[in-house]
Amino acid sequence: MKILLAEDDFASRKFMDKQLSRYGECDVMVDGEEAVDAFMMALEDGEPYDLACLDVMMPVMDGYQVLKAIRDIEAQKGIPKSKRVKVIMTTALNDERNVKMAFELGCEAYAGKPIDVEKFEKVLTKLGLI
Amino acid sequence: MAEEFNTESMLDMFLYESGQLLEKLEGIILEKQDADCFDDADINEIFRVMHTIKGSSGVLMYENITKVTHKLEDVFYYLRESHPDDVPHMELVEKVLAVSDFVTGELDKLKNGDTPDGDEKQLVEDLDEFLGRLKGEIKKQGIEMPQANRHVEPTQFYITPVAGDDSHFYRISIHYRSDTQMSNLRAYSATYALKEVAEDLLYTPDDILSNEASADVIVAEGFHMLLQTKSSKEEVIALIDSSEAEEINFDELTKEEYGNALGEFGREVAEPAPAPAAVDTKEAAGEAKPDKPKPGDYVVKTKEAGKGKTLAKHQPKQQSIISVNVEKMDSLMDLIGELVIAEAVVLQNPDLKVPGLELSNFQKASGQLSKITTELQEVIMSMRMMPLTNVFQKMKRIVFDVSRKLGKDIELEVIGENTEVDKNIIEHITDPLMHLVRNSVDHGIEENAEDRTAVGKPAKGKITLEAKNEGGKVYISVKDDGKGLNKDKLYQKALEKGVIENKPMSEFTDKEIFRFITLPGFSTKEQVTEYSGRGVGMDVVVKNIQSISGRLDISSVEFEGSEMTLVIPLTLAIINGIVVQVGNSPFVIETASIKEFVRVGEDSLIHEPSGEEYIVLRGECYPFIRLNEKYDLPDSIDKIEEGIIVVLEHEGSQVCVLIDKLLQEQEIVVKPIPPYVRKVKGLSGCTQLGDGSIALILDIAGLLMHDGERR
Amino acid sequence: MAEELLKNAETDETEELLEDDSQKGMFMTFQIGKEFFGISISYVNEIIAMQPIAAIPEVDDYIKGLINLRGKIIPVIDVRARFKMEPCEYTDRTCIIVIDVKSTMIGLIVERLADVDTIAEDSIVPPPSLGRKEHEHNKYVYGLARTGDTVTLLLDPEKLIKQDDIAAAVEDVRKEEQS
Repeated sequence: MKILLAEDDFASRKFMDKQLSRYGECDVMVDGEEAVDAFMMALEDGEPYDLACLDVMMPVMDGYQVLKAIRDIEAQKGIPKSKRVKVIMTTALNDERNVKMAFELGCEAYAGKPIDVEKFEKVLTKLGLI
Repeated sequence: MAEEFNTESMLDMFLYESGQLLEKLEGIILEKQDADCFDDADINEIFRVMHTIKGSSGVLMYENITKVTHKLEDVFYYLRESHPDDVPHMELVEKVLAVSDFVTGELDKLKNGDTPDGDEKQLVEDLDEFLGRLKGEIKKQGIEMPQANRHVEPTQFYITPVAGDDSHFYRISIHYRSDTQMSNLRAYSATYALKEVAEDLLYTPDDILSNEASADVIVAEGFHMLLQTKSSKEEVIALIDSSEAEEINFDELTKEEYGNALGEFGREVAEPAPAPAAVDTKEAAGEAKPDKPKPGDYVVKTKEAGKGKTLAKHQPKQQSIISVNVEKMDSLMDLIGELVIAEAVVLQNPDLKVPGLELSNFQKASGQLSKITTELQEVIMSMRMMPLTNVFQKMKRIVFDVSRKLGKDIELEVIGENTEVDKNIIEHITDPLMHLVRNSVDHGIEENAEDRTAVGKPAKGKITLEAKNEGGKVYISVKDDGKGLNKDKLYQKALEKGVIENKPMSEFTDKEIFRFITLPGFSTKEQVTEYSGRGVGMDVVVKNIQSISGRLDISSVEFEGSEMTLVIPLTLAIINGIVVQVGNSPFVIETASIKEFVRVGEDSLIHEPSGEEYIVLRGECYPFIRLNEKYDLPDSIDKIEEGIIVVLEHEGSQVCVLIDKLLQEQEIVVKPIPPYVRKVKGLSGCTQLGDGSIALILDIAGLLMHDGERR
Repeated sequence: MAEELLKNAETDETEELLEDDSQKGMFMTFQIGKEFFGISISYVNEIIAMQPIAAIPEVDDYIKGLINLRGKIIPVIDVRARFKMEPCEYTDRTCIIVIDVKSTMIGLIVERLADVDTIAEDSIVPPPSLGRKEHEHNKYVYGLARTGDTVTLLLDPEKLIKQDDIAAAVEDVRKEEQS
């Protein structure tokens, strides 16, 4: 599986990288813009990501903007819903409004920080990624 | 935008919504427990409730809740689609309640910060088995099997964070001294140190390492950070190197403020779309469109009236309501009490009694003031009033549970559940009422339906729970049409227990005999059952009720049933009282317990050789208490013809009390006697009078009890 | 003098002292009969002039009744009666020390206030044990201190208002809460 991880905070990035690398190749980005670039690039190379983990609070472009951009690109390219990259938002902003907004924008899961690894894994299973 | 203010966490929302739904569910179930089946609207509603909880618990990944609600949803799906006859209604009700209890239990765990780890297997198996039978029934009736309930697995998940939602948000600004070298590196080291504890950290300028010019900006404008962390303020401060700093500003932010502040730090927060309900709920709404009953398919068996009631009951919830800390209410109440007293101090001020003083304007103004304070008092009282709805709801559940366990068929009628009483009082009556209801189910209604039909009563027992508001008192009665109290048995039992001397039964009134059951250790049933025993007897009920100045009335006709009535005051805090004087001390007597004032001569007094005294009024003989002697008050009137006799009544017994004179009648703000002073029998509290002096409030029940003990 | 003291005590002195941690070692001293007594100032809430007292029947005779302290109703006890001394008339020097012991507010009626004294820890000696007729006091007196020519008996307010009274009070409160 090909994973895109966007996370500006070093400690979180390290942690997530370690967790995610168990499941596949993990590309690590430090801000939102980079993440969108990487997503585009992978798409053009014909090797799209299976999973994107986006931090919400990131410099340049935040997670919501990245999520929206990704979904917009996918829509533009006519990628069917089932083939879309699965997106998990990771953040400590876990109030209802933010969560619902993320769901509206089309993420698959929303993980509150600190991340519950066990549940995270369960979600990956449910999403059919592992 | 309303959503702006909605900062409740996802979990809080889930708990709140699910709690509301379960409450609603239980309401439906208990209302329809006695019906033969649920009607379409109920089935749809229960289906919807289960579907919603299933959906949201699925998103939050509480799998046991999801599984259980999923199963029950299946059951109701079949009911809705196939309309089978002969659904074992009682069993269905039990199943729904079992699920509701299970989910409630799990929600409680979540509320306490525990993991919802209840084992759902048994419950799911039971439901499966039930559903299996139901399907068999459907086939047998030749109804076309509906398609299996298609479940849409949630496609979106919310992973709750490991720890609770206890992050702090800070805005930190560091201003370095103007001569600080390489302030950008210092700023960087600050951010570096904070990253250790940060869940999120933002700073401006943000190009501190790549752009050397940022050093000048930092010196000129300061270095600003936004930090999200679990650490406390002190811990964070300790991490920041403050050696070159001139000033460090440290503000704790709310999550909302933090979110807003993100924008300032050059991070745009996407425009929050108006948040409609989660996707799967929308689908639920689509699925749950009520089907029209096909003719001959299914008969709606509930009276329309019932539906109307449900509607009315839920309507008040739509009023805008704020919740207020009870302590604040209490202190507001106290303050208004003080205000009433202060008002009396002003209006009855002795300075005003100077002869010839022109007071007409003062009187006008003071009249206005009195009006406002009275209104204020009424408003605060009404704010503390709560309907008995919730208490009665609990009773419904008790009747249901206990009658099922005992195998009795009982119908519960509830009247006047919207009657309002003071919040403090509600807390005090729940347990006693629960006890009375259990008693009625357990001891009141006959063991066997045959016993009932034999005396010409319907096989189904009936308990009526009624509340009404009359003359400043609230009457709550629990009435059953059971076997009633047997006077002979009660009398015999009282003799055995030695609670009465060997007086013949004819000397007691019916009421007195019934009241035996409220004596400690008195239970007419030899065997204490699980539901009525539990070591607390009617004496505890009576004691609890008396502690809020209420009383218990008992009436009963053998073979026809009994009625227990709690008579309680509307409120505890303010009573109507008459201030009297004995010696130099003022006392307050609650107006409601005063029967009359009389002056009598020495000839009405009967002296017993033992020193006891009685007063004969119109041929009746009353016990007599001289308050001055009882409480050892000097300078008081001893001669009975000079004083005033107050005839007091409480629960049917009377007592005469000798006082010196009447002072006035007024509203009394009741205050407790400080706990340091041991409880004095016959006194229930104290109050401040208009002049600031303190008067003790007589407790008639205590006086009577004390008087009885003395003899 | 009493009035001056009252004023002092009521306005700045006690309040300031209460704010201050250095109140340790400060004692409010008062006179009963010929003897001087002291109470650690940390217990003292305020000093008020004698007030009309509403008597409560059927209680120990040293509990004089209730007073109205700005709307708060608190019990008052007569320290003299507490020591089982002959009662004496209340005069204009008589005043009430309002103390706060474990959140229970109680007024102490004392014949006259003396002063606020600093008593060093090391000048306090334990009371002589037994044998004397004042031994009845000893359960309330935990130390003696010499200030100038006089000996001050230092009172333990918790014992003064009697442990079992408090226990009873706590018990009552608990019962009330339960019911």
